[in-house]
Amino acid sequence: MAERCPACGSCGMPMEKPEDYALGDVTRPYCRFCTDARGELLPYEQVLETNARFYVESQGVTSAAATAMARAMLADMPAWRNRH
Amino acid sequence: MQAANRREQKVVTRERLVNAATALFARKGIAETTTADVARSVRMSHGVVFLHFPRRDDLVIAVIDEFGRRLAAEFRQAFEQDFGLRAVLQAHLRVLAEFEPFYARLVTEAPMLPPKVRSTLMMLHAAVSARMFTALERDRKAGRARRFERPLLFNTWIGLVHHYLVNRDVFATGDSVIAEQGEALVNHFMTLVKP
Repeated sequence: MAERCPACGSCGMPMEKPEDYALGDVTRPYCRFCTDARGELLPYEQVLETNARFYVESQGVTSAAATAMARAMLADMPAWRNRH
Repeated sequence: MQAANRREQKVVTRERLVNAATALFARKGIAETTTADVARSVRMSHGVVFLHFPRRDDLVIAVIDEFGRRLAAEFRQAFEQDFGLRAVLQAHLRVLAEFEPFYARLVTEAPMLPPKVRSTLMMLHAAVSARMFTALERDRKAGRARRFERPLLFNTWIGLVHHYLVNRDVFATGDSVIAEQGEALVNHFMTLVKP
């Protein structure tokens, strides 16, 4: 099996290189896309929107489908699983 | 020391379960396979499977994640050697061939699978799409490719590949349609993107 690399605790993106991590710091649990300039986790709605946009731009799915898929992806993530 | 051994054992057990699930999903179908089937096939208690994967979907996602990790490794290698679209398509097919029986089931059943599983697969597609588009843009700047909209670039490729995978029994004489038809698919696709 391939060697496992850590995944972002917010969106699940594999973090292979230091630049994939927030602030390039490999001890941080989240990726650069899910964090702000200070390395803090972005609000849920913003992470949801970024992930939904990734589906739309890559495959041309509808915005409603993209949001539903992004919501399903984030639901079990450590950063968001207890948000309600 | 004991804790390290326990951790190692846990990793080995998890790997065994993922391997067994990959084979069962391919043979029986994803919707038809239960965690109890997986436990039986590796002669472990259902409790052990539950400890690692509380739901069947967690196992499916673990296999897709494994596929994703292999893909990321292949892409990295392909990018180091040749940053062109052909290299990306070939890397994609190499990993698809490794997971072919499972992946063929996955794409056949995808519309009926739970949202989380489908979303995970579509996220993997998004990553492939991003790699393809970056490589195409490189080729385009070097005068080797024409412009393509990113979603259609990916959807054209994946539509072609999935058609052969879903109908692999009529497109291949042996076990792997990717092994038999993959090169022709890459060659055909590269003629489509020519300027």
